Amino acid sequence: MRDDTLHEPDQALHVEDLTVSYGAAPALWDIDLDIPPGVMCAIVGPNGAGKSTLIKAALGLVRPVAGHVRFLGHEIGAMRGRIGYVPQRHSVDWDFPTTARDVVEMGLYRSLGWFRRPGRDARARAMAALAELGMQDYADRQISQLSGGQQQRVFLARALVQDAPILVLDEPLAGVDASTEAIIIDLLKRLRDSGRTVIVVHHDLTTVQSYFDWMVMLNVRIIAQGPVREVYTPENLRAAYGRQLAMIAVPEGGAA
Amino acid sequence: MTMLADLMASQIVRTVLVGAAMLGAISGMLGAFAVLRRQSLLGDALAHAALPGVCLGFLVAGARDLGSILAGAFLTGSLAALAMMLITRTTRLKTDAALGIVLSVFFAVGVVLLTHVQATGGAASAGLASFLFGQAAAILVSDLWIMGGIGLVALGVVLALWKEFKLVSFDADFARAQGFPVTMLEAMLTIMVALAIVVGLQLVGVVLMVALLIAPAAAARQWTNRLGMMVALSALIGAGSGAAGALISATTRGLATGPVVVLVATAAVLVSLALAPGRGLVWQALAARRARARISDGRILAAMQGLAEAHDDPHYPAEQGMLGAALGKAPAPGQFDALKRRGLIRAVTHAPEATPHWQLTPAGQRAARATGTDTGDKT
Repeated sequence: MRDDTLHEPDQALHVEDLTVSYGAAPALWDIDLDIPPGVMCAIVGPNGAGKSTLIKAALGLVRPVAGHVRFLGHEIGAMRGRIGYVPQRHSVDWDFPTTARDVVEMGLYRSLGWFRRPGRDARARAMAALAELGMQDYADRQISQLSGGQQQRVFLARALVQDAPILVLDEPLAGVDASTEAIIIDLLKRLRDSGRTVIVVHHDLTTVQSYFDWMVMLNVRIIAQGPVREVYTPENLRAAYGRQLAMIAVPEGGAA
Repeated sequence: MTMLADLMASQIVRTVLVGAAMLGAISGMLGAFAVLRRQSLLGDALAHAALPGVCLGFLVAGARDLGSILAGAFLTGSLAALAMMLITRTTRLKTDAALGIVLSVFFAVGVVLLTHVQATGGAASAGLASFLFGQAAAILVSDLWIMGGIGLVALGVVLALWKEFKLVSFDADFARAQGFPVTMLEAMLTIMVALAIVVGLQLVGVVLMVALLIAPAAAARQWTNRLGMMVALSALIGAGSGAAGALISATTRGLATGPVVVLVATAAVLVSLALAPGRGLVWQALAARRARARISDGRILAAMQGLAEAHDDPHYPAEQGMLGAALGKAPAPGQFDALKRRGLIRAVTHAPEATPHWQLTPAGQRAARATGTDTGDKT
């Protein structure tokens, strides 16, 4: 029994003809993209490739000049609250007067509805989300007193507490320590294994093959997309990164 | 105390006192959000942009009618906010440049209108200049009801939309991704700031009004790490500054209330910046000194351990002067005594030298090793 109002309901994320422009030069050009449900997908590309812009446009934070986006067949407006979003850590002021648990509870504000304050139930769910990331002992810390990796884990806990089928993360591993990276990746893999779709803007090509099973290579246009073992090839990397490639590990002898 | 009682017996002083305290509370509460959203200077632009509205209100009403003057102030203030939003969205100018342009253009128009009205408007227009720096004595009891009403409405809105305002102030992108009407919530906060400014025009004036938005919030932030506490404290500091400023200016002839209120609020900021536990300068200086002392204790032990290792003798008697040379600077003599009291070193003699010598105890050796690994771990 299918809902005919849905468009491409078999894709966790479906993007078609998406073009975004800041001023003269397009930041994203004619993006066609499909990410199936239940994968852990890396969005990679050089600096300025439009990785963050892509997810911001998908989430409706940036207005595209053309194209459309669907999550599980729905427009973004119908999927609010069912997508966990983790913005870049540096997008907020960490000196804001609030605690780690308070930030995590923000992930529940939408489900609470207008005028209602988070209560004991919200508190328990926030604590559980913090515990998933090993942060339960820091619940009452002021957020500026946390290390960068701990702040990132708090951000992830805020998305986790929504229990959403789709998670979208913007550079969650940028500037975090090795132990935080391991904790975050372990959690994301568990979420993937429980059927959720995890979409991650990722900057470290050396770890793409071990962390992810799906990838999108981007440089203003889509260079390649699909399972990592098919997409992570010297030709694609050269097409996406060009001269910057000397800095990057290239898989030996074509497809791995 | 009798002086205070005498002062309070005056109807004017009572009115000004209550008015200043209410204004401080309102602007303190709303200023906390403005400061956290890094919009404190927007308040300054709005306040300056109120001046042309004051003159227009006078021209339209043809008299010094407070209702039309405040309506005019609110109108041009809102127009300024709108102009700024349009400038930052449609041009490549950044917020600070847009603020500067809007503030100065609106204020210039205001001054031109003011001088024109004063030259042509006759006696009734004489009082308009008081809106530049405020004139507390002009406040009427009926004005207090307006202020109280606006204050209650603002308090009600803030309480009802508490979690939404908190979320928007902390992370507007996340709020938008969650489907909250972020633009509307931000507009509500800005409109309430504009209302607070309009309320404060008579008392503090357009030039200094922004101080009442920023100062209580900046002071309150020093004392607490909770948003609720910060907003409450900010309102309290604002009310206290208003009341204290009104009383001080009432005791002395020729002290304008508005500027005195601003000075009292600024004093609260200075005290808070210096003394608040955790974030205050004095507190941080003390903490830094304690940390320095701890490190140099550790360095003394590490230096002794190094000497012991170099001489292949765990009980090597290190001469005090030599330790000073090894550390680059002689530690205070009391520091060795303190280490001795903690059982980390013991005094020994090393004939024929008569100078003080020190030896690591087993506990001191453990402490030295712990210091070494500690600093090694700090990456």
